[in-house]
Amino acid sequence: MKPAPFALERPRTTADALAFLAAGGRVMAGGQSLGPMLNLRLAAPGRVVDVSAADLRTAAREGETLVLGACVTHADIEDGRIAQAAGPVLAALLARVAGGIAYRAVRNRGTIGGSLCHADPAADWVNALSALDASVEIATPSGSRRLPLGDFLTGALATALGPDELLAAVRIPQPAATAGFGYVKHCRKVGEFAHAIGAALIDPARGAARLVMGALERPPLLIADARALFGGAVDADFAARFDPEPADAALQAAGIADPVSRHVHVEVLRRAVMQAAGLQAGRAAA
Amino acid sequence: MSPRSSSLEGVGARLPRKEDDRLMRGRGQFVGDIKLPGMQDVAFVRSPLAHARIRGIAIPPEDRSRVFIAADLDGVKPIRAVSGLPGFKVSEQPVLATGKVRQVGELIAICVAPTRAEAEDIAARVTLDLEELPAVSDMIAARAPGAPLVHEHWGDNVFLETLVDIDMASAFDAPIKVSRTISTARQCMAPIEGRGVVVHLDHRADQIVFHTASQMPHIVRTGLAGCLGLDEGRIRIVSPDVGGGFGYKAILLAEEVCLGWLAQRCGHPVRWLEDRREHLTANANCREHHYQITLYAERDGTLRGVDCEATVDSGAYSAYPFSACLEAAQVASILPGPYDFPAYRCRTWSVATNKCPILPYRGVARTGVCFALELALDAVAAAAGLAPEEVRRKNLVRPAQMPFDNITNKHFDSGDYPQALERALTAINADGVRARQARGEEDGRRIGLGLSIYCEQAAHGTSVYSGWGIPMVPGFEQAGARLTPDGGLELRIGAHSHGQGLETTLAQVAHEILGVPVARTRLVHGDTAMTPYSTGSWGSRVMVMAGGAVATACTELAERARRIGAHLLQADLADVRFADGRVTGPSGDVSLAQIAHVWYRRPQDLPAGVDAGGLEVTAGYKPVRDSGTFSYAAHAVVLAVDPALGEVEILDYVIVEDGGTLVNPMVVDGQIYGGLAQGLGTALYEEMAFDAAGQPLASTLADYLLPGAAEVPAPRIDHMETPSPYTRFGVKGIGEGGAIAPPAAVANAINDALRPLGAEMLHSPVTPRRIVEAILAARAAPSRRDAA
Amino acid sequence: MNAPLRQVPEGAVAVALTVNGRPVAAQVEPRTHLADFVREDLNLTGTHLGCEHGVCGACTVLLDGEPARACLAFAATCGGACVTTIEGLDGDEVAGELRAAFNREHALQCGFCTPGMLVSARDLVLRLPEADERRVRLGLSGNLCRCTGYVGIVRAVMSVIADRRARGIAPQDGAARALGPVGAHAGDGVGEGKAVSAPPTAAALPPVAVEVVEDFIPAHTFAQSFSLAQPPDAVFAAFADVRAVAACLPGAFVEAEPAPGTVAGGLKVQIGPVAATFRGQARITRDPATRTGRIVGAGADVGGRSSTQGEVRYRVRPGQDPGSAVVELTVGYTLKGPLAQFGRPGLVRDIAGRLTALFAANLEARLAGAPAPAAAPPLNPFALALGALAARLARWRARLTGG
Repeated sequence: MKPAPFALERPRTTADALAFLAAGGRVMAGGQSLGPMLNLRLAAPGRVVDVSAADLRTAAREGETLVLGACVTHADIEDGRIAQAAGPVLAALLARVAGGIAYRAVRNRGTIGGSLCHADPAADWVNALSALDASVEIATPSGSRRLPLGDFLTGALATALGPDELLAAVRIPQPAATAGFGYVKHCRKVGEFAHAIGAALIDPARGAARLVMGALERPPLLIADARALFGGAVDADFAARFDPEPADAALQAAGIADPVSRHVHVEVLRRAVMQAAGLQAGRAAA
Repeated sequence: MSPRSSSLEGVGARLPRKEDDRLMRGRGQFVGDIKLPGMQDVAFVRSPLAHARIRGIAIPPEDRSRVFIAADLDGVKPIRAVSGLPGFKVSEQPVLATGKVRQVGELIAICVAPTRAEAEDIAARVTLDLEELPAVSDMIAARAPGAPLVHEHWGDNVFLETLVDIDMASAFDAPIKVSRTISTARQCMAPIEGRGVVVHLDHRADQIVFHTASQMPHIVRTGLAGCLGLDEGRIRIVSPDVGGGFGYKAILLAEEVCLGWLAQRCGHPVRWLEDRREHLTANANCREHHYQITLYAERDGTLRGVDCEATVDSGAYSAYPFSACLEAAQVASILPGPYDFPAYRCRTWSVATNKCPILPYRGVARTGVCFALELALDAVAAAAGLAPEEVRRKNLVRPAQMPFDNITNKHFDSGDYPQALERALTAINADGVRARQARGEEDGRRIGLGLSIYCEQAAHGTSVYSGWGIPMVPGFEQAGARLTPDGGLELRIGAHSHGQGLETTLAQVAHEILGVPVARTRLVHGDTAMTPYSTGSWGSRVMVMAGGAVATACTELAERARRIGAHLLQADLADVRFADGRVTGPSGDVSLAQIAHVWYRRPQDLPAGVDAGGLEVTAGYKPVRDSGTFSYAAHAVVLAVDPALGEVEILDYVIVEDGGTLVNPMVVDGQIYGGLAQGLGTALYEEMAFDAAGQPLASTLADYLLPGAAEVPAPRIDHMETPSPYTRFGVKGIGEGGAIAPPAAVANAINDALRPLGAEMLHSPVTPRRIVEAILAARAAPSRRDAA
Repeated sequence: MNAPLRQVPEGAVAVALTVNGRPVAAQVEPRTHLADFVREDLNLTGTHLGCEHGVCGACTVLLDGEPARACLAFAATCGGACVTTIEGLDGDEVAGELRAAFNREHALQCGFCTPGMLVSARDLVLRLPEADERRVRLGLSGNLCRCTGYVGIVRAVMSVIADRRARGIAPQDGAARALGPVGAHAGDGVGEGKAVSAPPTAAALPPVAVEVVEDFIPAHTFAQSFSLAQPPDAVFAAFADVRAVAACLPGAFVEAEPAPGTVAGGLKVQIGPVAATFRGQARITRDPATRTGRIVGAGADVGGRSSTQGEVRYRVRPGQDPGSAVVELTVGYTLKGPLAQFGRPGLVRDIAGRLTALFAANLEARLAGAPAPAAAPPLNPFALALGALAARLARWRARLTGG
């Protein structure tokens, strides 16, 4: 189980990386997703551009937005090394998501940018950051561009990234101080990929709720305005008024025909909502 | 049974293992660690299809000298594992496919290169032209007329069909009749180290030397000699450190035969290391059983009879040496479990499909039959309105009946099965659990209590295996014991230690008799050139058989030492005794080291007429009765099921176990813990799925889920120690037991939790998806099928 | 046969790193992962390979002092890194305490997972503030052991943590670490920032003969439909033009029409990092009376390892609005070979929906007289099957990393 031969570039800067990509190549950051594909010879690019040592290992704050370089690792976030830039609330929230990704040895190399670029429907950042209304900054041969995450993720394993472009940074807005966040995944064992993910960012003070159902073999199913799931309005009592019917309808509309799958995804979403309300994950009788 | 010494190192001592240090420092020597000058790596071209005719294999001309196909393998014979049971149909497994491939992963070509990566490059350049044939991947469909044929000349897909009927009709008027269809998924044994083989030519010894990860080096030698057409003496098998066996390393691989041929052809050492994808998709699987079982009982739970149709998916070929039918034959003989009832019928089919061959995995058929019978017993309890333990109390063989010949003539040697059950119920606090169950959980989960009991025939001997007529029948087990000139001890066995801790525990056995410190005792194993013949490590047999043989050899050694010692002490033989490593007479004593010194260094001081065999003994051993030891256990589990998502959390797990006399309780506990983890894998996680075309659907450990530290609980173990009346020290084989009962106990607990919801889980693994599906289905169409 | 000697392979690059405290400079192929490098080139065989896809943890080593999978780090990307294998922990204080505890608690049997387990355990001992069993178990979840049931391992790790805390040794918080993947350094420029020669490409392999089996039974089927603002007859007529229809499906190509109703061609797909080209044949039958048709085909990738058969049955019927049409598709497929052996089937709908939507949009544009999309191709029965593949791969890959 050894990779097919490939050539390797190790750019130190984004500019160098783009120059290499212009000539063709597959970007690798921490290599925790691409590595297995190479070892299994499912992926056999002629050239790999390793950006793990490039200038993408940064965390900064721009106003109310946390800007993480693409090569910040899950462990960096888990351990709070971005806390100064993120602020305590966002840092804690992201740390919880990061700490649940795969295993520590993987988190020490796997990166937030790499995870988003692989666009795995069941990946944690793909879903959690959709709920947090993140956007991405893309370095292009002519400069850079920004995309909301929802526009960046175009399908299962598919993104809007061009072959000559590089994901440079992830921009995560500070959630309102009054907002609650819930993130629940349903796995058969620890570290395994999720069979269902629910993410919720709910701010009763502003009457806003942003819900995500993920691990659906498609990009996250985002309900940006989720008032319909709470009887038409989000207020302090939102947890008690969660209505699974519109969530189920959204899944049906997205083509999820299997009722067992819909049942599980709606339940996981419900638990994320309960978590956002500060309640226990709230298992319920079927 | 011998009395136990008071020593801290003898039989019964909880002694830390000698073998740990090298393994913890990365100095173990596994097959993959062996480097030989000029060694080259092998990768195989394997079939991507489950069933196809090979029309062509195109090899680029520049690679032709490094690629070998069936036509190149002059003189190599196919692997044949024939059972002597009447009606058995023979399969021939070509080591490289000829004409047809019958499973995904079947070997088609050998590619050799300086590195594995380059060998894989070559393999990728070989083009296959395959004419696809209809495949059969479901064993029940494979039995039906008109199914595609795996071996055309058979006319059907049945390796073997058997029937036993003991007065079945007498049970038909029982007031309770419960029928269930129960099945277990196909699994991969998944030791963390895969198979591997390094072969080189030893010109001085005129031998082909195989370093191969094997549980049974001597059996592999016989198999290889047959396939390669060589005298057995020309083959030496070295099985070094082995990274877990579980049955997977008790099979002759076509890859081993290929490398044996290749080393002769190329002249330089060659190496093949199985990777995880090969393990999961191409090599042997295990466990896939299907039961249609009916229990007949009185209203008080007393069993009147068991009627079963059992099918085992044996895969495409009969694997060497255990054959394609050992599993199903075992089903028929052990389905009655630890219970006593008067009527029994069991029909079995060993079915060929376009999948990997199966191998006996830890527990072999016992895990499947325990699952089928224990789930069916819970169904009887539910139908009769009884607690599950009530039905078991009514039917377990009682201690007063021991030794007991059961309905299939299994001879249970000793034990108190009901006591194990009662101790388990007490330890798990069954009453408390049921009270909690009645109260309900605040979080909406549902609590379940599950039981399962088995007895495990182990160390089966000649009388058992001769009846099956497979290529391997165990006879006397032999061990060598040699005192070194400085008073140390070397032991030699033909079985293999790959985690069982035999380097420590057999030294304890020797210490019990000779008193040589464990630190000064070395175990030589895993090399056909240096050890007596043995069928190897399988069937929970090594402590019974090799332990008995070591004890026998050491006993003889002690007697020889005593005779020399008497001379040195100038005492009458009748007046000296051997104990604690010394020969003691009326006037003094002499140590084993002193005796060894005289034998080796001062033979002039030896008495006339001394035994010329000296201080080196090879002795053979069989238990007084070789029908096997019967260890047993009762497992009790409490778990919580989340009915909304189907998630299962184990809250408490109790094992009451009787393995007879325990040589090293720490090692025994380790075997039980490890067995439990594998049993939980069977119960909840592991499944090797195939699609209708015979494509395996898990090729990584991300698809084939092995339980991790977060999934496996630490059970509470309670030991009973009823010695076997037939074995040295009263030991019983225990290596597989931990893996037998968990699937049944867990499924029974889940069913106990779900019963009010009308859902019943009868297929392993019990996954969250299957639980949710069953609950939603029961909600949509509630029904009860057992009329009592 | 004369064995080719092992030599520095073509395309090797220089790398300089520190292994167990000693500087190492070597020429490595970019494809050589760190575990093979230390095992094969440095003879440090204590680092074991159990899966080579990052799940089992047997190859876990320390990179810059932190645990990492040696099977998922390519040696050539580790320039400037400090690598510590199990052999390098011989004199390590924490490892020593762990070895004593592992021995006492019977935390190993066959010992194959043990080196990786000790590396991960050492990390937990250093990081965890207390010996909480749940956290220890979670922390060990990336290292599989098939022998011990983890009982002894968990006890051993907990005992070492408890002992160290009792001795007043504080856990490490990792705050001082630099951001980014451990072991990745801009380093001294060796092997970096300059092009290396491209690897030799495999000589073009002969195409694989694939037959179309007319009456195969697909393993998976699903139905899809879409509406077009064009009259049914026009839509049905459009389906007659194979090249035009093919032009609406990205990645598909037509090479020849060897006989009426037969198309030779294929489909190039790029699914994340996986690129595959399936080439083969399709047969097309149509029934104007019912406005139905069937395309059945088969294709295989280079070397014949992965293959697929598929069929698309279509029916064009009038839509609700006058002059509109609904196209109903029933797609069936079977996928075989390595690409098929990941994940479980039946996850097709969403991706198929995307492909169908893309196809419908292109078809509609074409019917409306818009220029054909650049580089388009046939309504290839494998296209939708490959959508299924994308879904499987997505599922599978996520399983590898969980994130």
